[in-house]
Amino acid sequence: MTASTARGGSLRGLPASGRVALAVVLLLWIVAACSPLLSERAGAIRLGERLAPPSAAHPFGTDDLGRDLFARVVCATPISLAIGLVAAAVSLGVGFAVGATAGWIGGGVDLALSRLIEVVLCFPVLFLLLALAAFLPPSPMTLILAIGLTAWPGDARYARAEVMRIKQLDYARAARAAGASTPRILTRHLLPNALPPLIVSAAFGIGWAILAEAALSFLGVGLPAPAISWGGILSAAPPYIEEAWWIALFPGLALFLTVSAYNLLAEGLRTATTEKGRHA
Amino acid sequence: MIRYVLRRLLLAVPTLFGIIVIVFLLVHLAPGSPVSGGGEALRRPTGRAAEELRRLYGLDRPLPERFGAWFSRAARFDLGESFVDRRPVGERIREALPNTLFLNGLALALALSIAIPLGVVAGGRPEGAFDRLSGAALFALYSTPTFWAALLLQSIFAVQLRWLPLYGVASDPAPAGLAGLVDRLAHAALPATCLAYGTLAFVARLVRSGVAETREADFVLAARARGASRRRALWTHAFPNAVLPLLTLFGLLLPALLSGSVIVERIFAWPGLGRLYFDSILSRDYPVILGLSLLSAVATLAATLASDIAAAAADPRVRDGASP
Repeated sequence: MTASTARGGSLRGLPASGRVALAVVLLLWIVAACSPLLSERAGAIRLGERLAPPSAAHPFGTDDLGRDLFARVVCATPISLAIGLVAAAVSLGVGFAVGATAGWIGGGVDLALSRLIEVVLCFPVLFLLLALAAFLPPSPMTLILAIGLTAWPGDARYARAEVMRIKQLDYARAARAAGASTPRILTRHLLPNALPPLIVSAAFGIGWAILAEAALSFLGVGLPAPAISWGGILSAAPPYIEEAWWIALFPGLALFLTVSAYNLLAEGLRTATTEKGRHA
Repeated sequence: MIRYVLRRLLLAVPTLFGIIVIVFLLVHLAPGSPVSGGGEALRRPTGRAAEELRRLYGLDRPLPERFGAWFSRAARFDLGESFVDRRPVGERIREALPNTLFLNGLALALALSIAIPLGVVAGGRPEGAFDRLSGAALFALYSTPTFWAALLLQSIFAVQLRWLPLYGVASDPAPAGLAGLVDRLAHAALPATCLAYGTLAFVARLVRSGVAETREADFVLAARARGASRRRALWTHAFPNAVLPLLTLFGLLLPALLSGSVIVERIFAWPGLGRLYFDSILSRDYPVILGLSLLSAVATLAATLASDIAAAAADPRVRDGASP
């Protein structure tokens, strides 16, 4: 009950920019769903038309093998969106488990888990990402795990702070005084109230995960060849930077649009969930 | 104060231990073993290198013993030899370090010198025209992938306008004297911009929200009531107090800059730590990978400690309060 009213309230409270962002995100998912229609075009190699500039026939131009860039950018949508979503979910799951445990139990457990969070934050994210993505066998699962397992400390810090705050609020203490069991307090009182800030953190996490996947694919340790991703298309751009700017422009634009939409949605959700528009 | 410093130092010990453990796990558990490898390996140590690796990391010995050996080597910063050219890892890192420090120092100076005034002015009038405009611009920067920005900047400033060189550290042959300095700065301009804008957006947003909150504090209103100008109230009263809590975050800029260096140094062919790390990943040069991971994590830990202690020295509430 509490959760549903909170959720209804946050959607209605979504500012205009957040609604636009939500519409863009939905549109991107529709594009992703329709992308198989273009998969044949995306793979067709026509060496006679290599590095052709944007035209009516090829709105985004063609790449070094004469493949239509528009079709390739569209066909890369599902991979980027799906990996971003699932990796952010992994990160949120691990982060919530670690953070909530630390915040709920406190004491020595909190001290130990907080050290663990600190340790992971000490490494440059891309160092860990590259090592995991390059050393494990290349697959979507590897990418998701690599991104999820490097991104969780942020989510864990949110979850820890939120659980510690709620734990000592009157309603949680009242529930405990009334004899509610720990699992009941956790699921009925803590989780629904800790959820809104975590959803915000997760929405930012999706944007971050999409960027991470693109960076890995750009560096050549993402998904192997037949799979198309925006980062992968961009990795073909540097050798042709002097003659074919369109290879660099359009896939990056798609990436920028997607990440902006998710980040804007996250901002909107943050405004909506911190009810009285408390600006942080 | 001494109690606080001691407590922070004591808490850093398990973190340091954790860093050494993670680096150990990175090489021993992820790929099965570094000599057998897993997945599609681009190059895997064989023959002499494999033997060397087995001996160095004691892969034939039980796990606790291996960890003990790694721990004692890590504690002495004995990083071993590179598989690629058989030179000490420390030497290769020392060679690349100045290039990365130069580029990151330039990027940090650029980012802070724009981010701080921007944040203070925007936070001085929250929801004002300037705040909205700069907010949107920072938001766009925040969502821009570094490698895309690098490609666009190259395309515009190096290819179309021909104002700046496409990549590299300096012209060959490098001009002498003042012209040499100008040449180096021209080569560093694009990569430093790419490294700077993420930090710029991050810091400007933090300064802006800090100032927006502090500007209504009693001591700022009191300064205004005493006749201080708006500018003076913002810069000498609101800003220092707004920026104090942010001091503790500065340690975390280091790993972010190093992450950015991997991408930027690759695109601009800049022979620094980021490129060294990426090349080592591709060639499975484990001693270099381990050495760089260890050094960067320890440097971050030290920077975090230093910024925490600086924050505590500047603000008694931090050292007396319950916060970390």
